[in-house]
Amino acid sequence: MNTPFFKYGLFGDDVSLVIAFVIGIGFGFFLERAGFGNGRKLAAQFYFNDLTVFKVMFTAIITAMVGIYYLSVIGWMDLSLVYLNPTYIVPQTIGGLLLGFGFVIGGYCPGTSCVSAVTGKIDGMVYLLGIVVGIFIFGEIFPLVSNFYNSTPMGQITLSQLFNIPYGILVFAVVMMAIGGFAAAEWAEKKLGNKIVEP
Amino acid sequence: MKNFFPKLSLNKKLALLAFILGLIAIFAGNPYRGSSVTLDTKELSLIVDKTVDHVSAEELADWIIQGKSDFKLLDLRTEKEFNEYHIPSAELVPLAELNQYPLLRNEKIVLYSEGGIHSAQAWMLLRANGYKAVYMLFGGLEEWADKILFPKLAQNATPEQTTAFEKMKEVSKFFGGSPQVGGATEEVSSKKPMPKLEMPTGGSAPTAGKKKKKEGC
Repeated sequence: MNTPFFKYGLFGDDVSLVIAFVIGIGFGFFLERAGFGNGRKLAAQFYFNDLTVFKVMFTAIITAMVGIYYLSVIGWMDLSLVYLNPTYIVPQTIGGLLLGFGFVIGGYCPGTSCVSAVTGKIDGMVYLLGIVVGIFIFGEIFPLVSNFYNSTPMGQITLSQLFNIPYGILVFAVVMMAIGGFAAAEWAEKKLGNKIVEP
Repeated sequence: MKNFFPKLSLNKKLALLAFILGLIAIFAGNPYRGSSVTLDTKELSLIVDKTVDHVSAEELADWIIQGKSDFKLLDLRTEKEFNEYHIPSAELVPLAELNQYPLLRNEKIVLYSEGGIHSAQAWMLLRANGYKAVYMLFGGLEEWADKILFPKLAQNATPEQTTAFEKMKEVSKFFGGSPQVGGATEEVSSKKPMPKLEMPTGGSAPTAGKKKKKEGC
C-alpha cells in the first residue's frame, strides 16, 4: 500500500473528513496528556524551565524521519508520492517569526490553543478567537499581500537537494542534532531553569 | 560491559537506538526510487478490468464546474487542435513530450485525446513510470462533445431522460455548448462548431443554425 490514500480514491470526501476527525481527536488527546493544554508549561520552555515541548517535537521529527526513511529504503512506502510543501523562503521565514512571537506572548501554538480551549481554559479560548480574527483579517487583505506571499519561490525542495548531500547523511545529521539538543535541554533545565518557580 | 545496556535509562536507550539507526542510514542509500521501475501487470489488468482508470465526461465537467484544482488535465493532441478547442483548464502535452513534462507522482492526472487510444497509451506510460493517480477521460474529446457540449434529447424520451437532460443543459451552457432537442435533422454532418475558448462564462452559445446532429434517432 502506498501513501496517500485519499488522492487515489480509496475513500471519498466524507470518509476523509471522518479520518481527519479521528486523527485530530487523537492528536489533541496526546497533546493534552503531555500537558500541552497549559500555556504556562508551553511558555516555560522559553525560560528554560521546562523543555518538554522541544523534546516532544524533536522526538516526533526524528521518529517520523527515521520511520519514513527506512520504510522507503526497504520499498514499503513510495516517498515520491508524499506531498512536499513548496518553499517560499522570505515569506515563510517571516511567518515563522510571527508564529514564534505569538507563541511566546500568548503561550500557545495553534494546535495547543484548541486543546486548551476545549479543556475549558479561558486564555486558550481567547487565543483561539485571536486566531480566527487573524485568519479573517489575513483573508481580507490577501490581495494586498499576495505578491509578497508568493515571492522567493524555491519549489518543492528538500535540504538534501539544496545542499546536494545524500539523504542518509542528512538523517544521521538530524539524529545527532536531536541527541545533542536533548542533552543540551537537560543541562539547561538543571542549570538555568531553577530561577523561576513554576506556579 | 555486559550490564551496560540494561543500566541505561529509557531515554538513553532510545537515544542510542536513534543513533544506531542514524548511523546505518548513512550507508542505507537513497529513499527515493531511481529510474528503474517494476510493473505489476496483475494490478494493472485489475484496474483496467474494473474501469477505475476512467473519468466520465460528466464527472470531469462536475469537477471543473466545482472549481476543483486537485487534478491536472492534460490534452494529448496537437497544438493546432488544442488551439481550436480544449477543455477548460487543460494543458497541452504532446505525447512525445510526456516524459519531460513536469508532473508530480502524487498528483491526480486526467488525460484526454481525440478518441481513446492516445490517452490509453499515455496512461500506460505514466503508470509504468510510477504515477499512480492517472485517469483517462472516457471516450476522449468525442464523448465530451457528445455528452457535455452537444447533449441530445430524443423526441420519444422518457420523463426521466427529460429530467436528466434539463440538468445537462445547464452543464452544457456552462461550457458554452448547445443542447439539442428533437430527433430529425435535415443534414447529417460530423463537424460541429466547437465553442469559443473564452468560456466558461455562461452564455455564449454558438448560433443555432449551425447545429448539426451526428447520428439519427
